[in-house]
Amino acid sequence: MTSLRSRREFLVQSGLSLAAANFALGLPSLGWADDQPARKQRLVFVFSPNGVIPQHFWPETLGADFELKRILEPLAAFKQQTLTLHGVCNRIRGDGDGHMRGIGCLLTGIELFPGDVQGGSDTPAGWSQGISVDQYIKSQLQADPRTQTRFGSLEFGALVPDRADTWTRLSYAGPNQPVAPIDDPYQMLNKLYGQTRNREALASVLDGLSEDFRKLENMVSQEDRRLLADHLAMVREVEQELQAELSLRKSQGDVGHAVPELPANVREENDNMPQICKMQLDLLVNSFVADFARVASFQITNSVGQPRMKWLGIDEGHHTLSHEPDSNEDAYEKLIKINTWYCEQVAYLAERLAATPEPGGGGSLLDNTTIVWTNELGKGNSHTRDNIPFVLVGGGLGFQMGRAMDFKRVPHNRLLMSFCEAMGHPVKSFGNPDFCGDGPLTGLV
Amino acid sequence: MRARSTCFGPTSCTGRAAAPNVPLAKPTRLVEKRLARTVRAGKILGDPIPPTSQRWTTGLRRQPDATLGPSRGAIPMLARQSNIVGLALRVPVVVRVVIAKRLPGLAAVTLVLVGLAAASWAQENGQPNALPADPVLAKGQAIYARSCAECHGGQGEGVAGSYADPLIGDASIGELTRLIADDMPLDEPETCVGEDAAAVAAYIHHAFYSEAARIRNRPPRIALARLTGTQLRQSLADLYGHFAGSMWRTEERGLRGTYFDGARWRNENKKIERVDPTLDFDFQRNGPGEGINAEDFFIQWRGALKVDVTGPYELIVRSTCAFVFNFGTFERVLINNRIQSGDQTEFREAVYLTAGRVYPLQIELYQRKRSTGQPPARISLAWVPPGGTEQTIPRHHLLPGSAPAVYSLQVHLPADDRSYGFERGLAVDRQWDDSTTAAALEFADVAAGELWARYRRDRGRDGGRSGRARGDSGARGDTGGRGDMAGGDENRDRLRSFLTEVVETAFRGPLDEASRKFYVNDQVDATEDDSEAIKRCLLAALKSPRFLYPTLDADRSPSQRVANRLALTLFDSLPADEWLITAVRENKLTSEGEIRSAAERMVGDYRGQAKTREFLYEWLNLRHLGEVTKNRQRFPEFDEPLIADLKASLDAFLDEVVWSESSDYRQLFLADWNYTTPRMSEYYGQGWQPREGETGGLTRTATGGDGQFGLLSHPYLMSGLAYQDSTSPIHRGVFLIRYLLGRTIRPPADAFAPLSPDLHPDLTTRERVELQTSPESCQVCHTKINGLGFTLENFDAVGRFRSQEGEKPIDPTGSYTDRNGQVVGFQGPRDLANYLAGSDDAYQAFVNRAFQHFVKQPVAAYGPDRLAQLTARFKESQFQIRNLLVEIAVIAARQPLENASQEP
Repeated sequence: MTSLRSRREFLVQSGLSLAAANFALGLPSLGWADDQPARKQRLVFVFSPNGVIPQHFWPETLGADFELKRILEPLAAFKQQTLTLHGVCNRIRGDGDGHMRGIGCLLTGIELFPGDVQGGSDTPAGWSQGISVDQYIKSQLQADPRTQTRFGSLEFGALVPDRADTWTRLSYAGPNQPVAPIDDPYQMLNKLYGQTRNREALASVLDGLSEDFRKLENMVSQEDRRLLADHLAMVREVEQELQAELSLRKSQGDVGHAVPELPANVREENDNMPQICKMQLDLLVNSFVADFARVASFQITNSVGQPRMKWLGIDEGHHTLSHEPDSNEDAYEKLIKINTWYCEQVAYLAERLAATPEPGGGGSLLDNTTIVWTNELGKGNSHTRDNIPFVLVGGGLGFQMGRAMDFKRVPHNRLLMSFCEAMGHPVKSFGNPDFCGDGPLTGLV
Repeated sequence: MRARSTCFGPTSCTGRAAAPNVPLAKPTRLVEKRLARTVRAGKILGDPIPPTSQRWTTGLRRQPDATLGPSRGAIPMLARQSNIVGLALRVPVVVRVVIAKRLPGLAAVTLVLVGLAAASWAQENGQPNALPADPVLAKGQAIYARSCAECHGGQGEGVAGSYADPLIGDASIGELTRLIADDMPLDEPETCVGEDAAAVAAYIHHAFYSEAARIRNRPPRIALARLTGTQLRQSLADLYGHFAGSMWRTEERGLRGTYFDGARWRNENKKIERVDPTLDFDFQRNGPGEGINAEDFFIQWRGALKVDVTGPYELIVRSTCAFVFNFGTFERVLINNRIQSGDQTEFREAVYLTAGRVYPLQIELYQRKRSTGQPPARISLAWVPPGGTEQTIPRHHLLPGSAPAVYSLQVHLPADDRSYGFERGLAVDRQWDDSTTAAALEFADVAAGELWARYRRDRGRDGGRSGRARGDSGARGDTGGRGDMAGGDENRDRLRSFLTEVVETAFRGPLDEASRKFYVNDQVDATEDDSEAIKRCLLAALKSPRFLYPTLDADRSPSQRVANRLALTLFDSLPADEWLITAVRENKLTSEGEIRSAAERMVGDYRGQAKTREFLYEWLNLRHLGEVTKNRQRFPEFDEPLIADLKASLDAFLDEVVWSESSDYRQLFLADWNYTTPRMSEYYGQGWQPREGETGGLTRTATGGDGQFGLLSHPYLMSGLAYQDSTSPIHRGVFLIRYLLGRTIRPPADAFAPLSPDLHPDLTTRERVELQTSPESCQVCHTKINGLGFTLENFDAVGRFRSQEGEKPIDPTGSYTDRNGQVVGFQGPRDLANYLAGSDDAYQAFVNRAFQHFVKQPVAAYGPDRLAQLTARFKESQFQIRNLLVEIAVIAARQPLENASQEP
């Protein structure tokens, strides 16, 4: 895939000389580098597994007058910021079963390598042959000092099984380079704030340590006491440094840089899933406020994920239920409830983003963030990758929201290209170029 | 490369015995000149430079003893040091001038050097420092004895009742002179003025008043020291091991392989169970054995990796199949290639491993049936050990079966002060402090993630020590460091008892009320989160002086103090094994017999063996050999795999001698056998063939090998002590005199490049060296060096035996003058080997090195006769190395008990 990385590249490719470009395009002579600081654009992919119940998911009316079906009802408050994209299909073939290609090609738009993981059907496969769109956009943003952030992207998860295989990886940093999501909120907190928290912890024990130094001094000879005295002096020095650092941070009083508190001792297990999702989403919002990253993903379980939503009165695992025929009314109803619960997570994220003012700018975080809620399958019991659920919420990409659209079977690669373009880094193709000939999707903006 | 090397050998020049194969940096010459000057100056004043002095290299930077205490920054250290140097330099100038007036030219220099040699001899023999022959000082001394000593004591130590404080300070001689002239003696100050006052001032300043004098006079003492990097690493490994269990010894080698038909563990499909010597298989398309579908199988290899040397390793799996590689514990995944994808077949992981530890290891291989593109099955497990090259992990490093979980610190720790010839933690600086913080945080993570989960599982119910589970069995699943379903209070109590046990182990003894409150309870109460509490507690505990200063234990029970020293001496660690902690609890480590039997048990432990290996490397100065490389044109087959074999052979030889029944030091030189490999037999020919009936791998040679003199003829050592294309009798001579015979030789006044063989094509190496070192100024040292180095001329630059160099026969004759002035002649390497096996100088050097390495204190600090006693005991025990190590540990461990019994 190629992209137009810079003004220079653009000019070279469009065959304009630098001088001519200024006239022809009416650009300021110093070029794009001196543009007004652009608004921060953010993009979050939320993944939930095993397909949806299309009947209760897709609006029947297209355009601005669309209705929210049962599953999408939690988004009611954000209807005007919501865009549903029907008719976008994952057309990637090659190795791997439906679930594997479903998740492995979803953001990469390219085939899986041959490999030895045999799914329920089809041929065995390995990892994706290409980078995923979130990681691609991240690398572009990171390459530009104006959009560079501490992490670039953050990969959140919830109850992702502790095994690395095609079904558990959504993101790829490159061919054969799956990115493991962090599904432990404490681990994520540590990644985001570990150093600060470590320094706080250190600061809090040094005083007590000094006291102990003094007690022990009496145990040694005058000559040996010097070593302890030197050591104590150093402990004091570190302590003063830390105090200065911490009080500076306090005086700055920037909420964005306050270390968030998580509830204690929440273990990673099925029944804690609602709490873990909330913790992760809170951290995600927090990391946007602190501008740690402009791209994120939140992967709820995995492709073929088996959460048992006992808190909804559902004891069966999601994947098992998703194989039931539509005629199984009990399963059908449960699948609607399960997907509605996923939608509630998306709505919670939207709500948090909407309630948080954009630091240093107007509006809310949601005005500058687009949530892309997606899935590896269109429908669970058919394993189809046609009509992949793509529900967008928020203004990050600058799309025209508050609509239901139907693209009538376009390859999803074109939507991936649209994401790149909307984030300021247009590409000629994304993933397998055979599916990109018609360019980015039209009519989104 | 050769052109830049200063040689004479960097060995003799820098006193560091740098690797001859490594070029020296440019500034060497200047530094050496300054060093030479400092050392000369120091010698005349009789600075207590230890006999095996590696201090020379850093003489400008370090103080001879820690009496001034460590300095926190380089600047005050230098300032202080330059005072001493300044003072020292003033005196020898006088001495030199005096001598030069009487004797012209070169002879004067020689005399100075001879004088130095005498001083050095006195030093080696522990004679007290005499006052330099200076009329002013002599006058001052006389006046002091007459008029001052009555109140101030003979050595200014003070007299109770008159003037109790010692006469020490930092006033200059001029200031002292004025003070004495004005006020002293108290009753009649007018009797000591003018030149008399100046003489007294000069005398007391030199004799005991000044900082420099105090350093000079200080008898070696047991200095308080913080944990060295190695000790910190080992202590944390054992702190982890306290909860995971300690390793037992086993003679079995290899990995246990269990082979299944079908790509998963199913008992009914188990087809093969065996111990594989190494992991290096190419099953192609045939599968691993009968009854196993070549396209659909599963193999589990289980065992452990025994690591003898601390350092950075790379572990490498090459596989065409999916596999998962667990390392350290059977739950910790090091390489996860659960799915095979594309053509990626090489997987590398860098890990820092700690010596004397046995790391559980498991590789599970899945060959899964595929409908398309089934590849042939291949897998190997290789490593790159520190400073080595890649090789399949050899059999003798693999142990079958399970082993307790092991933890190895990954944080980088700054290098320790080695200016005393052994590592000592005598100073603290910011870099070190930061690294202890990083280490504490890393350990806190693993404590929360693994130890706390293990503790809850194993001891959740009774909370007592009895429920200790050994090994790793059934530990799958629960690895999170989070709270559990138990009620909050119960969980908190359990956390407190867990942390109490961690801290008590780290502090080498029970916690008193105040410590329990600060280190445990306050930290648990500060947060609701278990992991956070563990982090806070461990940050405090692992940065506490109670952990970092292992001998800061005067308030501990006698048995505890003994155990602390045994663990420190033999393992570089802390007491963590259940049996040792029990012995402490029952106070059963007080009699010499009890202590000795504990030391005997510990010395043979893998941890004790690893420390012994380190000691032998120190003794042989192997770490400074650096990379052994040779001229590829001249020695095309002397390649990296062969060098790796040489190293393995030397290690095996050392192990065999030390850990055999007789453990006889003399065998190190007298053994007429060694260890060989097919590559070595091929390259070195006769004398390096495997013993009858042995094939492949690393095997013993037959005994009676011609030209086999144990270590002395070992090609790793001989090629290491040689240039790229010729031998270096000087390196070999310096090695023998300094390391094996424990004598001091000073660096030369200047640095020299070796004479090029090309410019002297008709001279042998011996003749070239004789030519270059013929000036009288060189001969002072080179009569000692060359006479030893020449005896090894039968071994060429790669350690092959030779009897000719070019057209000329090798002349391996030489001689050595021992400490008592006896001259010994050698006809060749056999005579030298016999001498090293029977020489008091060599025994003492070995014993002294061993003591320093294990105890990390000068042996004289344990009594002026200690070295002689220990050496005598070594001889009585028929030179049992193991026994020597036990005796050393007993001396170190009993020291606080002896002191206590002397106190009223």
